[in-house]
Amino acid sequence: METVLQLDGVSKAYKQVKALKQVSLSIPKGSVFGILGPNGSGKTTMMSIVLDVLGADAGTYSWFNQPPTADARKRIGSLLETPNFYHYLSAVDNLKITSAISGRGNDQAIDEVLEIVKLTERKKSKFSTYSLGMKQRLAIAGALLGNPEVLLLDEPTNGLDPVGILEIRELIKRLADRGITIIIASHLLDEVEKICTHVAILKRGSLLTSGPVDEVLSNEDIVEIAAADMHALRACIGDMPNVLSVKEDNHRIQIHFPSGIANMESINQFCFNKGITLNLLLHKKQRLESKFFELTND
Amino acid sequence: MGLLLKIEWLKIKKYPAFWWMLAIVMLTYPSINYMFYNVYTSFTKGKEMTNNIAKMLLGNPFAFPETFHTVAYFSSFFVLLPAILVIMLITNEYNYRTHKQNIIDGWSRKEFMGSKLIDVAIISFVVMTVYMLVALSFGIYADPDNIGRIGEQLHYIPMFFLQTFAQLSIAFLLGYLVKKAFIALGIFLFYYLVVENILVAYLKYKKIAITRFLPFEVSDNILVTPAFTGNFGKDAKEGYELALTLVGEQVIYTCIYTIIIWIICFKVHSKRDLA
Repeated sequence: METVLQLDGVSKAYKQVKALKQVSLSIPKGSVFGILGPNGSGKTTMMSIVLDVLGADAGTYSWFNQPPTADARKRIGSLLETPNFYHYLSAVDNLKITSAISGRGNDQAIDEVLEIVKLTERKKSKFSTYSLGMKQRLAIAGALLGNPEVLLLDEPTNGLDPVGILEIRELIKRLADRGITIIIASHLLDEVEKICTHVAILKRGSLLTSGPVDEVLSNEDIVEIAAADMHALRACIGDMPNVLSVKEDNHRIQIHFPSGIANMESINQFCFNKGITLNLLLHKKQRLESKFFELTND
Repeated sequence: MGLLLKIEWLKIKKYPAFWWMLAIVMLTYPSINYMFYNVYTSFTKGKEMTNNIAKMLLGNPFAFPETFHTVAYFSSFFVLLPAILVIMLITNEYNYRTHKQNIIDGWSRKEFMGSKLIDVAIISFVVMTVYMLVALSFGIYADPDNIGRIGEQLHYIPMFFLQTFAQLSIAFLLGYLVKKAFIALGIFLFYYLVVENILVAYLKYKKIAITRFLPFEVSDNILVTPAFTGNFGKDAKEGYELALTLVGEQVIYTCIYTIIIWIICFKVHSKRDLA
């Protein structure tokens, strides 16, 4: 598969603090790639490095299979950390500067992106008069301007209200359907789970895992069961084959099996043979949230 | 180059401080020169012997071609005004974090610094244009009969530009390295108005002849005092003529200093983390 962004052993330290440790990552073309990690895990540092805002201490990266250049950045619509605009200029004038620097879009395209982020009515107001949510919308408009091949969005829903968050999620889905590669850093796991095809998890500067969402999440099968006699059920699970671990919560038992092993019929049969009738049998997909906590908790 | 200029103009043309600076410069340059012109006319307008002597000694510093020299000298006192704007323009980029955004959007580090070089050049050019108009107006107003000599001292126009550009480059370097507008401005004012003047006075008192190499003195000495100051005795004449012969060297040193300043800016910016 064609690669849009490739990182090889990228490291970065701020004096004593190691913000990124030997991170290697490959982002395939057309993917919606979520970069997850708790605060201070190195997400923004990583994005800053690939946008040439920060220099890496070690390692290399490439955009579109080429060494990074300013021209490569022109093909990427980016929102890094905060909306960065000239306070005394209007939305339109700010986007004219974005357009002139990146070579993406024209006056008509500016109007279109302002319409998408619902800023048309305030397009002539100075940036300094905008609310936090409006500033964020303008930053998204700047990233979208002129249909870039890649979108790199660092916490794009920051400061947005619930409706705004939903709109951005829908927008990202629409763009992904058009084949645009979207790299999105977030700590909103629900957000990422809903829209991403691939995911990478960072913790204290180290990459813990990365790959397609299904692969990252499906290293275990989880089956949730319950019965009237929970005591007997608990006792019979001890004899069940291939069980990795068992958790009990809220009158339900979660059984973890190796990936691809769990079979609902045989579990049901097994319990029935032991004289237990199940009143719940559920093959649960592992939630990104639980995977995230599993990986990032000490 | 053309695109960088266009983008910088987009940033500057709606920046209120730019128009304020321009308005103040357009008021200040004519005012300071008019003040000296009034002093000159009050000395020379009478029919007394002293008035005639004054006229003989001073000539008419505001008539062509001397006006280009005189107006350049007095106007150059006010480099502080555009310096404030230059410092604001670079520290704004930090303040708005657009120094990052411009790179993210697709400029190279070199293009960003090139755009700032263009900013300083634009402001120097605007200030030079105001100076030129003021000098022309005084020339026409002070002695219309001398208009035929308009072309004799036009070299003061590029010399005024060079001095302004050199001194604004120092202001830029401070703003670029310090990042905070008020601190950079404070350092600039303190050095320009206090430190260097004390240094000059002290070094002259100690007869250590290196004052002309100090950061502002090096370009201050491009525009020597108006010609009439050389008419007050032998020492003054020798001093004026020596200063005049050194102008060529001062131009070269100023160019070297300014090139070094910009090399530092470009080099630092090529490696610096844009925090």
